[in-house]
Amino acid sequence: MENASVFSEKFDLLINGNVRIVQLEAGEKNEDESPSREGWIPPNPDKKSCSYCRVEFTDNQTQRDHYKLDWHRYNLKNSLLLKPPVTEEEFNEKSGNDDLSSISGSDSEKEDTLDTYATAQGKIFLKSESNKVFSLYKCLLFDKKQEVTEALLLERLKACSSSNNQWTILMLGGGHFAGAVFKDNQPILHKTFHCYTVRAGQGGSQSSRDSKSGGGQPKSAGASLRRYNEQALVQHVKSIVEAWRKEIEASSLIIYRASGPYNRSVLFGGSVPVLDKYNDKLRTIPFSTRRATFTEVKRVHQLLSSATIYESLECATSKFSQQVSPEAESKRNKVRASCINRAKSRETVERALPTEHLKDDSDLEFETDPNDKSELITEDLDVSLEDLQAFGDSLTPEQRKKAKRKKPKKSKAKKSREQEEAVRKELFDVIAGGNVEQLEKLLEDHRVGFVEDERDKASYDFINRVVDDESNTLMHVAAMREQVAMLGFLLEKGANPCMKNKNQQTAYTCTQSKDIREFLKQFAKENPDKHNYNKAQIPINALTNEEIAEKKKASRKIKKEKEKVKRKENDIKKKEDEEKERFLKLSDREKRALAAERRIISQSGKVTKRCFLCAADIGGKVPFEYMENLFCSIDCLKAHRLQRPVLL
Amino acid sequence: MALRAQFENNNEIGVFAKLTNSYCLVGIGGSENFYSIFEGELGETIPVVHTSLAGLRIIGRMCVGNKNGLLVPNSTLDTELQHIKNALPDKIRVQRVEERLSALGNVIACNDYVALVHPDLDRETEEIIADTLKVEVFRQTIASNVLVGSYCVLSNQGGLVHPNTSIVDQDELSSLLQVPLVAGTVNRGSEVVGAGLVVNDWCAFAGMDTTSTEMTVIESVFRLNEAAPSNITSDMRASLIESMS
Repeated sequence: MENASVFSEKFDLLINGNVRIVQLEAGEKNEDESPSREGWIPPNPDKKSCSYCRVEFTDNQTQRDHYKLDWHRYNLKNSLLLKPPVTEEEFNEKSGNDDLSSISGSDSEKEDTLDTYATAQGKIFLKSESNKVFSLYKCLLFDKKQEVTEALLLERLKACSSSNNQWTILMLGGGHFAGAVFKDNQPILHKTFHCYTVRAGQGGSQSSRDSKSGGGQPKSAGASLRRYNEQALVQHVKSIVEAWRKEIEASSLIIYRASGPYNRSVLFGGSVPVLDKYNDKLRTIPFSTRRATFTEVKRVHQLLSSATIYESLECATSKFSQQVSPEAESKRNKVRASCINRAKSRETVERALPTEHLKDDSDLEFETDPNDKSELITEDLDVSLEDLQAFGDSLTPEQRKKAKRKKPKKSKAKKSREQEEAVRKELFDVIAGGNVEQLEKLLEDHRVGFVEDERDKASYDFINRVVDDESNTLMHVAAMREQVAMLGFLLEKGANPCMKNKNQQTAYTCTQSKDIREFLKQFAKENPDKHNYNKAQIPINALTNEEIAEKKKASRKIKKEKEKVKRKENDIKKKEDEEKERFLKLSDREKRALAAERRIISQSGKVTKRCFLCAADIGGKVPFEYMENLFCSIDCLKAHRLQRPVLL
Repeated sequence: MALRAQFENNNEIGVFAKLTNSYCLVGIGGSENFYSIFEGELGETIPVVHTSLAGLRIIGRMCVGNKNGLLVPNSTLDTELQHIKNALPDKIRVQRVEERLSALGNVIACNDYVALVHPDLDRETEEIIADTLKVEVFRQTIASNVLVGSYCVLSNQGGLVHPNTSIVDQDELSSLLQVPLVAGTVNRGSEVVGAGLVVNDWCAFAGMDTTSTEMTVIESVFRLNEAAPSNITSDMRASLIESMS
């Protein structure tokens, strides 16, 4: 890798011939184009299956459960990325290694390819005919809005470097102006000046402040000074550009930096703009710059005019992947560091133990002495040993105390822990085995160790003791092992059913056994005030056996009655059916006879009151009457009377 | 009963309305025409509520709900939330969700029992969905699209999915959801079925462009037509023959 100016002969040679654009790619590629998800057909179409993970299920529940697994989610994500699915074993291995980036990720992070990283700096990678790869700023060849095409490439490349090596650079910002015209790395014209236009306290140009404030413009001396200077700057720039016009027009590129609307308006605004906005030689500077000064302009020119030449494509790729990785790594680390989950216990870091300093001081001196070249002074002294006897082992009292204290303390704690562990284990075994007598004995032994007043409390503690790592109490163990007798004993001794283990289960909820649950419910029923059964999650409003029986009886009674009614209805229906059948069996003559019989019965039997004239039925009505003759209406009565005049 | 409707000359009515079995939300439009269609059809059975979410009218894409509850995005204003809570029956839980994928209607599709969600949805959101809407939550894609809410419409009776959904996928989804599914379109071939159609157990509204064929598919898969052909041959047969003879 080397740097070369675009005006140099070396570069000229490089671009002599065909030049192509290349894309940097990371070394590893997706080597296996596996068949897509759609390609997989479930071997048994009747069965439930998951085409993402390519598995089959026997029933619906297993399928539903499968859809909630991380494995499935991982495969789902893979399928979206058109990657082949992994088997469960592979997934477990991966998740064990902890290299799952994110299965459920709102936190998915877009991964940059090498190419986007490389070109993000505004560079373009080109390949010469001699297979050398070189990079230079893209802005030299193409405008921001222009499409990058290979057709224009070589022409542009030559236009800006070998054929015309004259560039103009203009920089404008914060009242500073710097401009220069370069010809082959040498400035042939340059000018720098500064006007006071930026508001010192608040920043920003005066004109933007003026346009922003709705009311009047500030009338301070500073404000008017800046207003004047702004116009002066525009004039100045204009005059400079006019003076350089010939050189600027002769240059192959006009590179400028004018950030903000105000600075742009200086260059491109006004009725007669300083520069033509649509000039295709115009380019902006593709990196950040400092204050517009002559040295900065030179730096910009130097940076833009240098091209980086790599020996080959691989060389460039490796160079860039090296550059990318540390940054990416640090970024990732930063992200990880910022979201430490403090709720979780972290891994303990193995650190080297500090070196022991139990050696006495004199020894230490001895060891360090050989380096000390200073002369030793020998002196004879009488030292009485009597008052030193207490420190015969030449340790300071503090050291000795420490040494003494440390060891037994440690061992004591350890021992007590071990003891505790043993007791727990024993208890666990006793409960699990359902040995009530032994437990009673153990409890008694435990009680004896305390004074009279504290015994109850001690026994309560003992009974409600946690016996394993899941923080299960004796009750939990008994319930899980389905030791009803043991549970009874524990409850009798005052064990608390409200205690919860690590999974937030009480003794009642930790077991599936019906017997145990029934037993606990019974207990709750018999001793309703002993514990808070709500907290223990024991349903107390459950019915007892007698109540259940009673209820059953009542329901049976109701059922019986219902059945009776039904039977009655059935009987009636049956009779009717029989009647019908009998009727159907009769011959037609008999049927007719029956009908006639019925008619006679109905005629003779039912109707009692009839109108004397028209013989209509007047059973329910109040009849019209004369001389004990009854009629249905006045008309009938009249007609009857007219027929038989009354003899007086 | 399936009806056609239009929101201010726009056929994507699923964007401006949210219909469930216990309430209906309608975006605030320039005219009351859109609202009247819903009110006329549903007014006697469930509340039809005018609302906006975060000042926007695209409520159908912003929120998700069923008969049990309603989830609204974090950007919902307090006044809007209060208004919705006041307008809906008390037993419906209204909950704000803090989720990066804030267009909840696009990333969640649900009926009263199951929900399909975007594979990238937060686990926390997933739990909120399960609790508030009382549904079982599955992360899924539909025809390789992660926007399950846009490409799928569900009711307790059936579902309409993106037309490109493969048969295998449809089988899997329907065994997961326990409802029959059909791949289809709305609005004369629009594959964004979620935007063109709102549906509940007895009623559906589709965009004005929806063709008769599409309507028939919708009515049959969501079982909106009580007088289906099968009914004519079974339940109504006796009475028909009697009256004709």
